[in-house]
Amino acid sequence: MDATRISLSRIIRAPRQFVFEAWTTPSLLMKWWGPEGVRCTAAEVDLREGGEYRIANQHGDGSVTWISGVFERVRPPEELVYSWNIGMPGADGSRVKVEFRSHEEGTELILVHERLAAGVRDMHLAGWTGCLDGLEAMAEAG
Amino acid sequence: MIALAQSMSPDDRLDLVFQALANRTRRELLRRVSAGPARVTDLAAPFGMSLPAISKHLAILERAGLINRSVKGREHSCALGAEPMASAAEWLSAYRVFWEGNLDSLARFVEAEAGRKAGA
Repeated sequence: MDATRISLSRIIRAPRQFVFEAWTTPSLLMKWWGPEGVRCTAAEVDLREGGEYRIANQHGDGSVTWISGVFERVRPPEELVYSWNIGMPGADGSRVKVEFRSHEEGTELILVHERLAAGVRDMHLAGWTGCLDGLEAMAEAG
Repeated sequence: MIALAQSMSPDDRLDLVFQALANRTRRELLRRVSAGPARVTDLAAPFGMSLPAISKHLAILERAGLINRSVKGREHSCALGAEPMASAAEWLSAYRVFWEGNLDSLARFVEAEAGRKAGA
């Protein structure tokens, strides 16, 4: 067991190119990103290796938490690797790897979030746990 | 040491746990101890490290409460401290819940859009 990473996968019934674009195009990302109680109010994505992204997460009380990082690997429409910081940009954060694989039903998305030990302080800033209830309701309404 | 850890806030304790886990040798030591209590000399053997080097790693694990050390005569042994490991797992599960929720949301959005395109 590696206690500092999580991984999960999901089959999505849509073409790989489309899933990749939803993940990386700000106007599309803003339509689905964010748990219940959080609205994605802004997103910027400079989709190239060394390019930066940032995603604004506005909480119910109006405060905004930025998630930001730098792309390490950009292989459209197959793979993305990027650093992940919550709150302070440039913090020694964790790393997200996303793979988009063609699948008979559409796309298999494999997500690994690793080096989470380095991001432990980020998590305290984010308070995700308080924002997770009702996530599905928001997604359905959107 | 243990008394000190107990007087800390949960977040501070979690910092200690993740600092302890953010090292390959310490994770491997922990994996071995999780199978049952072990003598320090036996733990050190497979690493090709000096006993003082291993002791340093064990001290960091002990500070986080991940292992408990005991001394019987000249024999030092280590046992797993399960509670801090459970807090760490709980902390990680928040990330898992976040991503599961986010992927649900992505799937719903993308599948609806793809359906709309196919139907148009």
